[in-house]
Amino acid sequence: MQRVKTFAEVLSRNRWKGSLGVYPALTDWTRRRGVHTSATTLEFHEYDKRSGYDTGFEIAETRTERIRLGLQQLKKEIKLWKKEVQEVLISDPIFEYRAGEVDVFWRFYEESSLDHWIVTSDSDHAEGFSKCDLKIGHQGYGLFHGNLCSRVPKDGRIQNSGYCNMITKRVSKSFQRDSFLDWSPYTHLNLRLRGDGRSYLINIHVSGQFDIMWNDVFTFVLYTRGGPYWQTTRIPFSKFFFASKGRIQDKQAPLPLYRITHFGITVSDKADGPFQLEIDYIGADFDPTHHEETAYEMYEVQQNYIIGT
Amino acid sequence: MNNVLRTCRGFVLFYNRQSIKSVQRGFHSTEPCLDKPPKVDVVSVDSFNNVKEKNKKTFLDMLKVYRMEKYRSGHVEFINKAIKHLDEFGVNEDLETYKKLIQVLPAGKFVPQNYIQSEFMHYPKHQQCIIDLLQKMEDNGVIPDWEVEDMLVKRFGPRGFPVRRYWRMMYWMPKFNNLSPWPIPKPAPNDPYELALLAIKRISSIDIESEVKVYKTKELEESIEDTWIVSGQSPDQKKIVANHPDNIPIYIEGGFRIWLRKQSIIYFILRTEPSPAIKNEEEEDEDDISNFRVPFFDKPIPKKSDKIAKKKTVHEQEDGTIIAVAATGTSSKNSLLSWIRFLEKDGNPRLTHIPILFTSKSPLGNVEPLSELDESKKEVEQSKQKVPIE
Repeated sequence: MQRVKTFAEVLSRNRWKGSLGVYPALTDWTRRRGVHTSATTLEFHEYDKRSGYDTGFEIAETRTERIRLGLQQLKKEIKLWKKEVQEVLISDPIFEYRAGEVDVFWRFYEESSLDHWIVTSDSDHAEGFSKCDLKIGHQGYGLFHGNLCSRVPKDGRIQNSGYCNMITKRVSKSFQRDSFLDWSPYTHLNLRLRGDGRSYLINIHVSGQFDIMWNDVFTFVLYTRGGPYWQTTRIPFSKFFFASKGRIQDKQAPLPLYRITHFGITVSDKADGPFQLEIDYIGADFDPTHHEETAYEMYEVQQNYIIGT
Repeated sequence: MNNVLRTCRGFVLFYNRQSIKSVQRGFHSTEPCLDKPPKVDVVSVDSFNNVKEKNKKTFLDMLKVYRMEKYRSGHVEFINKAIKHLDEFGVNEDLETYKKLIQVLPAGKFVPQNYIQSEFMHYPKHQQCIIDLLQKMEDNGVIPDWEVEDMLVKRFGPRGFPVRRYWRMMYWMPKFNNLSPWPIPKPAPNDPYELALLAIKRISSIDIESEVKVYKTKELEESIEDTWIVSGQSPDQKKIVANHPDNIPIYIEGGFRIWLRKQSIIYFILRTEPSPAIKNEEEEDEDDISNFRVPFFDKPIPKKSDKIAKKKTVHEQEDGTIIAVAATGTSSKNSLLSWIRFLEKDGNPRLTHIPILFTSKSPLGNVEPLSELDESKKEVEQSKQKVPIE
């Protein structure tokens, strides 16, 4: 029984790699096929939402430990659930979205405002040498800073390197149920920040149910002036373009504002050196004169036999 | 072929002895070739490394050498090798080189002849290597032109994967090419002076009235070094200096870093403490109607009211008032001192009365340590991190 379990565990752990080479009996038939110079992919679908990247969360080894952690978690979840019920009972929705009023979603002013964010860089997964950090600066604003390095580690696998990223945690309700942010009343993203002249990327993730939709991201460039002055940037949501796994997709679509799962800012402009981005707030506003749904062409081009384009 | 090699060897290549030795041994040949000349790869693995002068001309010469061979083979290997050396030769932003690289592949040989070939990637390695080349173009911000389309269609047919990739690039790249509100010329200048001009203009774009001026330190009698100072200041900032009290110091802070695409420039700012926030004495509760004021019958509001305040300029931020911005050729303390002297002469006479301090820390973010400031660390520590220069 124990052996079966360990086997299943090993299999499930390595599934995403597409390599069945962990168990010799399974690889026998592939060996017979002759020389392979590139990795074979026998699967269409993905098993892991994070494509095999380590989450960094510690999961207990033993069963008793797991139960203990689960019970601890239960306490927190019930508290959250209580809050949610209260909120439903109080029921205080925003009735009117007035032009020019910015509703702030994330403001950086104290240490606890960093709890919503996860900061990663390529060095976290041994795929590069960039380092970054998000903290509250001297003046009480969020400071996303670090050192960008596009040197590629010589492991023969990685071709490009050099990114730093900050992203919010997955929006969720109590008992770790997935939830979504609803920004549909708004038309513009509104940020107040002070950059260093680099261009950053704003990513609005809209992860979906199925594996091909897990990595759906709407992206736009955030240009910063640089210098000692603060800037307020207003970007219409219609300008965001659809990408998945870092590739712009051929079929564009309007940003589904009612089901946003994450929000992130990336820097990977291949300019090696220190970077810093001070952020005051990230919010959105409503402009009644803005009617554009998407800035990109929606018509279909007649093509008789190109599949998938 | 040997003649070709002999002529080319003189100006671009020299072969290392080892490769020739191994060839002379006839290591790879299956049949003894005693009368035939030894087979030599025209462009060997190391040939790009062995070029002495690395520039666009020698790179194109390398391609020419390869194209001169009668029976070309190993296109994919050659192009992949060449892509890796684009940065070294400084041709990574040059469209002509990319076109020449595509032309390494013969036209008409890889065109699919039927639907199935067309959809299932006819000559996959060749297509993939050109896709990689287009990726490299995209990474370096080179927008292809219509000639590139012609070349790709001639090589892979109208539905080749590189052609599709090209169409995608031609849809998206022009959309993003001129998007930046602070455009940088392409190719960006390498001269620090030109970069400093761009940087200071970019920073001063916050106030359309600001003037960017260039000072030469030679013009000052007391200056020690000979360098340039690019300084930006607006009339509003001059007014702030004119109304500045004597007892509050002004700080020279820096160096901060500003990025212009892939290069960065160090700049300095002249900053004072933030001006006090506009506050109304009485916080009025707008929902309270117990004491309702009727403007027709009640006493008028006295003219000296605190309810009207002067609007703050963009330079007066909550973390400090910025008075001027500058970048200098040496980023040294002496050049910054000269900058203050120039500002005094140029419409800020009050700067002579105001204490001016160098600081090694700034509330406006990370400060790049200057070598000179490091040397004077002891002084800094003695005077609580502030070095008076007056």
